[in-house]
Amino acid sequence: MNDPVRLPVIRLAWLAVALAVAASLAIAVVADPPALTNADRVRQLAEDFACPVCAGQSLAESDVPVARTIRATISILVDDGVGDDEVRSLLVSRFGTDIDYNPSGSGLTGVVWVLPVVIGGVAVGLLALAVRRWQGTRTDIRTRSVLVGTAGLAVLAGLALAGAAGSRRGDDALSGDIRASTRTLLVEASVVPPAEAIEIYDRVLELQPSNVEALAYRGWAAWRGGDPGSARTDLHDAVTLDPSYPDARVFRASRRLAEGDAAGASEDLTVLDGLDAPPIVGDLVVASRLRERVADELARSGEVVAALELLDSGLIVLEGSDPRRAAAPLLAHRGWLLATTGDRALAELSLLSLDEAIALAPTDPYALAYRAVTLHLLDRREAGSRDADAFTALIDQPPELLELLVSRGLLTSTGG
Amino acid sequence: MNTVRAAALGVAVTVAVMVAVLATGRSGPDRMTAHLVGQPAPPVAGTTIDGDRWDLDDQRGRWVVVNFFSTTCVPCVREHPELVAFADAHRAVDDVRVVSVAFDDRASAVEAFFRERGGDWPVLAATTGRIAVDWGVVAVPESYLVAPSGYVAAKVAGGVERADLESLLSRAGADR
Repeated sequence: MNDPVRLPVIRLAWLAVALAVAASLAIAVVADPPALTNADRVRQLAEDFACPVCAGQSLAESDVPVARTIRATISILVDDGVGDDEVRSLLVSRFGTDIDYNPSGSGLTGVVWVLPVVIGGVAVGLLALAVRRWQGTRTDIRTRSVLVGTAGLAVLAGLALAGAAGSRRGDDALSGDIRASTRTLLVEASVVPPAEAIEIYDRVLELQPSNVEALAYRGWAAWRGGDPGSARTDLHDAVTLDPSYPDARVFRASRRLAEGDAAGASEDLTVLDGLDAPPIVGDLVVASRLRERVADELARSGEVVAALELLDSGLIVLEGSDPRRAAAPLLAHRGWLLATTGDRALAELSLLSLDEAIALAPTDPYALAYRAVTLHLLDRREAGSRDADAFTALIDQPPELLELLVSRGLLTSTGG
Repeated sequence: MNTVRAAALGVAVTVAVMVAVLATGRSGPDRMTAHLVGQPAPPVAGTTIDGDRWDLDDQRGRWVVVNFFSTTCVPCVREHPELVAFADAHRAVDDVRVVSVAFDDRASAVEAFFRERGGDWPVLAATTGRIAVDWGVVAVPESYLVAPSGYVAAKVAGGVERADLESLLSRAGADR
């Protein structure tokens, strides 16, 4: 096993490997780094500092206002010829050493650099000592306990250091919490129950008090969770902050309608019509029939003209939309409001809208049912019955329409 | 055996010291927010939204409230009437001046904000990033009370109230 000739050769080989590693490290340290452009320097500096108010994000990664402001300031300083060390000193003097990912080796922060080396060295030494002792004489149980305890302490020390270096806040995980960008949090909040979502939006608003998306959605979550007071405040604040944020308008309109404020809901929807809202917001309004329900409430309170204006406002937005059939529900409702005024001339006029709705969407249940009833009102019973029959052939038969047709004698029972 | 014990004791003492330092040290935000109080006020100079030149150095001999705000920040909107009331109350005596510094905001939005909500004190809105960094602003609203000597006397984070500002002035010994 211990060949006296091979032993020096093996030792020499190990020595050569150690020399090669040491030489490579020395060259890497001594060699001049490649020249950096100003943009490179700004990026590097931004990566070397933590965002002061974020959890586990650097200045380069964060999009909160303070990170944007500091990045812009770094850029100006670098362009003005200020050196990296000076920029680092400024940031540390203004925002504290906590934000410095590469703290200096002097003073108390030097402990961060020295301790891992000391602890690692002691741990290795103890292990070596333990191996020698186990190889030689039997080790008593107390020695083993001390060794295990020492190793445990070393691990704990390492974890504490990792926590101090990687985490910006006292309540974060030891290794830092890189999930917590506001965008990630907002996505996360959209898939959890209201109570959990509210907690997540609270965190976003701690990071970005002016995040209108978090405010609007927290208000919506509060509404869904049965807290109308908080919902009212958040949605009001969201609309005040950014009157052109479509989601906040839709949420507030829905809340206002539910609380009996149809005029307020109508105002929000009319403003929404003037915004360049993403299609998903329009789809939400259509799917929930929010505009039609608001118009119904207005008409019920005698504000028929306001109701028609609200529907017309939606129709104007849909002009030129593709497919055009998206306008059919609003046209049908427009016709229905006219038909139910009790004025025969207006009822005749309503057929224009109802006919157009059915031309655009022949299987729209609302258009068919409303025209059936309107024709019935105008004593064109045969034509009305044809629409009622067409309605009964539909797969989608909203219950309220079935009840309407039965109540007007166009269907004999809710089963058709 | 003695070597092992001594080394283990050394590691244990080191860890204990480290835990004590980490556990009892002030948290980051605290340290950040308090560092300016008692120090000379950093520069605040620039062109106001009215086009005038304004410099904190020219205000020596007066108390100054330096207010960092944003038009899209709810607490800033809420504190604004308090600042207006405070400025109105001190206008006749002219013992305290207010200056607002917009943080990460558009000048046009700042102008509209003051037009709609009142407030006739100087407002800096353009290229204010460096001022905010010099003051270590992390989350608006933040307000600082600067003494006539040019030193920072107090800081209020999260929105000011007129009564609190008056109380700070009284405690700081303002002669009104």
